[in-house]
Amino acid sequence: MKKYAMVVDSSVCIDCKGCMVSCKVQNNVPRGYWRNWIKQTTPDFSLGKLTRTHFQPGGCMQCDVPTCVQACPSGATFKDQETGIVHVNESLCIGCGKCVRACPYGARFRHPEKRVPDKCDFCFSAGRLAQGIPPACVDTCPTKARVFGDLNDPDSEVSRLLRDNHTVRVTSANIDTQPNIFYLAATEPANWPGDVEFPQSFSVMASLVNPLVKVAVGLSALGVAGMWAKQAFAPDSEDDEQGPEASHPEPTVSKQD
Amino acid sequence: MDETMKTLSRRNFLKASAAAMTTAAGVPALKGLVSTGHAAAPAPQAGPITDHFTACDMCFNRCGMIARVQNGRVIKLDPNPKFLKSRGMLCARGNAATAHIYDPDRLKHPLLRKGARGEGKWQRITWDQALDHAAEQFERIAEKYTRCGVMFSPGSDMQSQFLIRFAEVFGSYNITSHETLCLLSLHRAYLDTFGETPYPDVLYSKYIIISGANPYEAIITPDTIDLMEARKNGCKLVVLDPRYTKTAALADEWYAIRPHTDMAFFLALAHVIIHEGLYDQQYAEEMLFGLDELRAHVRKYTPEWAAGETGIPADDIRRIARELAAAAPTSMVYTGRRTSDYEDSTQIRRSMAIVNALLANWDRPGGILAAREVGVRAPYFDIPWYDDNPDDRIDYGMAPGLIHHEGSYKLMRDAIIKGEPYPIRGWFTFKTNFMQTAANRNKTIEMLDHLDFIVNADIAMTDTAWYSDLLLPSPSFLERNDPVSALQGSSACACAIWRDAVVPAMYESRDMLWICTELSKRLGFPETFDFDIHQYREWQLAGIPEAAQAIKEDGVYYNPSKVYGIYADSPLRTQAQKIELFNQRYANMGLDPMPVYKPPRPTEGKFRMVVGRTAFFTHSNTNNALLIEFEEENTLWIHPEPATRMGLRDGERVFVTSDVAQVELALKFFEGIEKETVYMATGFGALSPGQRLVHNRGASIAEVLEDHADYITGNMAMHETLVTVSRKVG
Repeated sequence: MKKYAMVVDSSVCIDCKGCMVSCKVQNNVPRGYWRNWIKQTTPDFSLGKLTRTHFQPGGCMQCDVPTCVQACPSGATFKDQETGIVHVNESLCIGCGKCVRACPYGARFRHPEKRVPDKCDFCFSAGRLAQGIPPACVDTCPTKARVFGDLNDPDSEVSRLLRDNHTVRVTSANIDTQPNIFYLAATEPANWPGDVEFPQSFSVMASLVNPLVKVAVGLSALGVAGMWAKQAFAPDSEDDEQGPEASHPEPTVSKQD
Repeated sequence: MDETMKTLSRRNFLKASAAAMTTAAGVPALKGLVSTGHAAAPAPQAGPITDHFTACDMCFNRCGMIARVQNGRVIKLDPNPKFLKSRGMLCARGNAATAHIYDPDRLKHPLLRKGARGEGKWQRITWDQALDHAAEQFERIAEKYTRCGVMFSPGSDMQSQFLIRFAEVFGSYNITSHETLCLLSLHRAYLDTFGETPYPDVLYSKYIIISGANPYEAIITPDTIDLMEARKNGCKLVVLDPRYTKTAALADEWYAIRPHTDMAFFLALAHVIIHEGLYDQQYAEEMLFGLDELRAHVRKYTPEWAAGETGIPADDIRRIARELAAAAPTSMVYTGRRTSDYEDSTQIRRSMAIVNALLANWDRPGGILAAREVGVRAPYFDIPWYDDNPDDRIDYGMAPGLIHHEGSYKLMRDAIIKGEPYPIRGWFTFKTNFMQTAANRNKTIEMLDHLDFIVNADIAMTDTAWYSDLLLPSPSFLERNDPVSALQGSSACACAIWRDAVVPAMYESRDMLWICTELSKRLGFPETFDFDIHQYREWQLAGIPEAAQAIKEDGVYYNPSKVYGIYADSPLRTQAQKIELFNQRYANMGLDPMPVYKPPRPTEGKFRMVVGRTAFFTHSNTNNALLIEFEEENTLWIHPEPATRMGLRDGERVFVTSDVAQVELALKFFEGIEKETVYMATGFGALSPGQRLVHNRGASIAEVLEDHADYITGNMAMHETLVTVSRKVG
């Protein structure tokens, strides 16, 4: 059993965008969309010679309390207990788009051709982890701002970094999703994460109704076919069309150690 | 290197991972039930993935790469972790090489121009026809105008050496390349101070001043990576740049220096270091030539004086000088990049070299280092004598410090237009795009009117290709076998690499070795290219027989040669055999033996245009589907204060007018630019419709820049253009 995680030293990110292109090529991410990103602070030029910009790489946070999984009515989005990676089982997806809105990090988007949510999976499905090579973004990073590894392995680089350093988890104000991307050094995210778009009643549905739905889906081929039809004709809402850069209207930031 | 490092059946892997996912989801039975929709679509027959070592060619850095190939197609490029020069990284450009080689805009077969130049009427011809035609034209020009009547621009490719060999045997001295737009002034300045062009030992430095260069953004391996590593180890970074670059954004201190005043800053540093006695006296006695002259020379260049020129407070200048000296010899003025800036750029670089000399950092850890030995040889060949040729290159004597194997594109272009001292009527360009990279594009077009025959070998329809007469499609770097190349990787390594084709050459593309071989047969000197690539590599590696095996196994060979103290027992290659603060040769030639500061010409309400680089484009190599997503169109960066005063609004379209052209693009308000300075990215506003992503998008900086040159080297001076910015009416 593994628990994959990423530790990011954003103080060494030079915003070269190597991680973004490497990911895009590896995962065939379509034009206009990204599975990962580099956010930046707005420089304050009144500081003169001390003006700085902080660049902060990110991607799907592979949360331990994944609001996207809670929001998914069909079980298509799930957290793999073997690896800790949050996956999308495309064949179960009904294309409702709720997971996209439920992610406070803007880490998901609807794939314009496949009509299913797309997101970072640490290059698992691209086969990199099985080949023993790190995720594309980590591998390519010039300054090695991104470090990837298994938290359950005490000898891994990520475990060592978490042990030896003060780290920050960036979480949404209204729910601590317990993300598995950790940030080293002072991190100054620019207007993210947003809120989880997630009605109160929804958590009830997530914990109670969704499992029932999942069973129903499992038993009813007809239901599945119906959902496929729905997915095939589901209209794109404006939200879904935006890439992960899209921020939510009232950005809130909270950090926890 | 046809061998495969490791293979993995992707199909089996995907099966396994899908099964794992289904199990983990807790719905093992479900998979079988879901039989409709796209899940049922048959997966394309995917073959095994094979891995191949290669080296990147998206800029000139040559970072180590592993190409992952499936079904004869490059699907992914990853860094070679054993490649110390690039420290196991690959930037956005390197990653986007897949879009470069599978670019739908690639040249696919030889084309002969039919209509007027630039009209875009082409006829597809065979390679035989193309080569016959080229040979015929070269012979015709040679007969009528001598062999120097053909100019060669071999680019900075690993195969460029073949075109240089071809040009020299053909008999033309007129070879010039991208370098004359780039950093010849840097080479000249350091050759004339230290006798050699050094490379900076960024990794071990404790204090670095960077003036103009932008290594965090205009990525240079290994400096970019080393600069971050050095900073983790406590190195202080001070950046002088009128533009807030990413390097400035990450520096300890950034000064938006007034353009063209860098020399004032460095002379003031020298003033403080000398007059406060902050230099190593014993070292100075042994190693420096002309310290007394320099002491007298910099007396008037006080920090207070420099503050008035540069806009940097005198206290900061004095403090920086002291800090820099305190960290010496493990401190430096970063030597390189963006050095083709002003008409006195060689002297500006000399002022920086002099500060380095005062820091006693030459040939020492954390300082500036002499080139290490790699051991790669340049195979010998005979250069024939042609009686009717002129005495020397066309630009000979036009600049006192011309670097003779590079010349000066700017001066050659002027000479061609004038027809003096002798006519040039042919041009062979390979993988260079002077139309988009050299200042004053209209003048390059004017030069073309004086040429009878232009042949261009490239992978894409660049602007230079678009205005050529004969196009020879080239393979990308992943489709050909290249000769050995020697690289310096800072103090960590001196290495040798070669490239083998990762996938077969696409379309009818042919590499430069093949083209030169075929042309040499037609032109009567077949013995010049009487070898294949493997033989050539053997000659190159004759002195280091162990290298070939290493390159096959790891993609790279490292020479364990000496790093520091290379000159410990030998005199420097300068006239004084010491570091020449005072350059005797300059004095003899009537040049200033030490850098004399001349203030910039007043801008008079105009703006100074500066060039710069992003991390995702290399010069005009912008027509890339992956990279263009980061910047779809260039904009004119301007400080909001002067712009608002002129009644301009952020985002509106404006005319930018210099003495040579007027271009139109959108404004971008940005406080991170000095108030008298404007900036726009290179590589937009392409004339060629064959560059679909940048054709007519934004504006070409090459068009608006005036063609000034450094008076010592003839190097293009890219920062001497003053422009007016005005609202686009209507």
